[in-house]
Amino acid sequence: MTFALNRADSVILIATLALLAFLYIRFWGDATQGEQARILVGGKEFSVVSLYKDQRLRIPGTLGVSEIEIRAGKIRFIDSPCHGKQCIHTGWLTLGGEVAACLPNRITVQVLGREPRFDAINF
Amino acid sequence: MPAFTTTRDDHLIAWLTALAVCIHIVESVLPSPLPGIKPGLANVVTIAVLVRYGWRMAAWVTLLRVLVGSLLLGSFLSPTFILSLSGALCGIVALGAARALSPCLPGAELSALGYSMLAALAHMAGQFFVAYALFIPHPALLHLLPVLMTAALLFGLVSGRVAQALLDRVT
Amino acid sequence: MRNRPFAVPSPLATRYSPLAFRYCLIALLATASCSKPEPLYQEQLLALGALVNISIWGMEPDTARRAADAVTADFNHVHATWHAWQDSALTRINAQLAAGQAFSAEPEMIPLLERARALSRASDYLFNPAIGQLFARWGFQSDEPKGPPPDPAVIDALVAQHPTIDDVVIEGNQLRGTNPAVQLDVGAIGQGYAVDVAIAHLRTLGVENAIVNASGDIRVIGKHGTRPWRIGIRNPRGNGIFASIELQGDESIVTSGTYERYFEYGGKRYHHVLDPRTGYPAQGTLSVTVLAHDATTADAASTALLVAGAHDWQRIARAMGVKHVMLIDAQGTVHIDPALAKRIRFEIDPAPEIVISAAL
Repeated sequence: MTFALNRADSVILIATLALLAFLYIRFWGDATQGEQARILVGGKEFSVVSLYKDQRLRIPGTLGVSEIEIRAGKIRFIDSPCHGKQCIHTGWLTLGGEVAACLPNRITVQVLGREPRFDAINF
Repeated sequence: MPAFTTTRDDHLIAWLTALAVCIHIVESVLPSPLPGIKPGLANVVTIAVLVRYGWRMAAWVTLLRVLVGSLLLGSFLSPTFILSLSGALCGIVALGAARALSPCLPGAELSALGYSMLAALAHMAGQFFVAYALFIPHPALLHLLPVLMTAALLFGLVSGRVAQALLDRVT
Repeated sequence: MRNRPFAVPSPLATRYSPLAFRYCLIALLATASCSKPEPLYQEQLLALGALVNISIWGMEPDTARRAADAVTADFNHVHATWHAWQDSALTRINAQLAAGQAFSAEPEMIPLLERARALSRASDYLFNPAIGQLFARWGFQSDEPKGPPPDPAVIDALVAQHPTIDDVVIEGNQLRGTNPAVQLDVGAIGQGYAVDVAIAHLRTLGVENAIVNASGDIRVIGKHGTRPWRIGIRNPRGNGIFASIELQGDESIVTSGTYERYFEYGGKRYHHVLDPRTGYPAQGTLSVTVLAHDATTADAASTALLVAGAHDWQRIARAMGVKHVMLIDAQGTVHIDPALAKRIRFEIDPAPEIVISAAL
């Protein structure tokens, strides 16, 4: 079977191959990229959320409600009823294994990935 | 009793749709290595009709094929149908766009091969994003996208080649 | 029976039920992500005012869970014994030390007190577990320290009384205080000690590969399957990961940072690592990371070296027998020994300025 591609066909084929290369790199390239996050309240699993669905979550903790934002594969605390705001200062989490915690409110967020970049975080 | 008048085009559409539906049904009964990956040979009819009779006719045949096929298979309004329909819609929209833009393309107009690749990729992409958005918004699904698109490219080339052979016979 | 419209009596109809469709996609996902569930068991608990993570690799989930539960009990026990502020064995000891009479302590407490004494002496008393009063005056025992800072006269008076762990006479199980200013607070080694206790316990339960992480005080044993354990070190300024390192066998890594616990008052930031010589928060250093065999040593050393600062850390590290240190000063410059520099990978962009010291 022979495939006789004319010039316009070739343009489509080349564009498609470029698209495929992009897709493989984007979705297969970096296995350490987090895909989901586990939210724990008081050490118990509260929920597992996808990092690919942009949303804001309101999580009830011991002190009150902590607000968590998910955007474009990243997750962070944006509000918490604690004094130190350590959780908010931790900033965006994106790699598998990264953790942010609001200890006073007993809420922790842990990024899950296929191949965790880190098994533990030292601080 | 109301009088129906049918044109020659209507008959053509009916016959071609019947052919496409046959392929569609045969293919749906064949076991597939992975759900979501099918040769999409019914696409051959769409492409052949597009090249021979134009986009309007191809759109009719494709949409009717999805509708009639699902009614016969009993999958009408099921997720399978919704996925088929969204894929088919994306495919014909892409073909329409390619047709409309073909005067701007360099050199030649797309051949059956080019149209077929385009339709298969658009079909897969549309189907995938509807599946992701409506049924399983699971990030692991995204890892399938490159594989599915690769399969779409290969099957698109194959059915394009078949459509070309078909057109060579007819003319 | 009436005919239902649109009910297609086709055997194919059942194949396309939404449920079957979902199962298909889920099966597809399972094959696609190629992910056999890892034999990694993880548990998280809150103890010692810290978030404790236990990861056990390569064991049956039930066995791993039993081991993790046993360790959870250890943490709760250490918490109950050594908590410096809530009613605990330690607060009762502190009351009796202040009275100056000899008394019997619980035998299990003696080893840690002796460890703390040895480490404090080796650190030239920069790690000082006897300054609990000073710590309390600053309000750092609270979950939410707020300030204001204590009156300078109060700080000076406490520093002048020079409480050290040498003021606690240990004879067998008998303790006696010789300085009423002494108030023991093992906060600077308590977490590391609890991590060591946990790892020792896991070993007796047959666990060969594990991480115990108490609020960033980490000890690892074994490996994560075929690869070492990967540890990220948090950026002491702002967010993200500063550096990473792979650990295996039996190693501990502990960081003391001025960002961990602090309050702001009158536009100034006061952090919780107090210099026992001045009574004020140690100046000039952001954080110190120590890699050592056991977490108790790493914990005490990271505190002492934070107090020692960029000009004196090498002397104290040698005196404490610590071989791997990374100190980040207030300007963000990294001071690191050559052995650790070889093992660590800086993740932060742009790369920090790095000063490699003489070998320790």
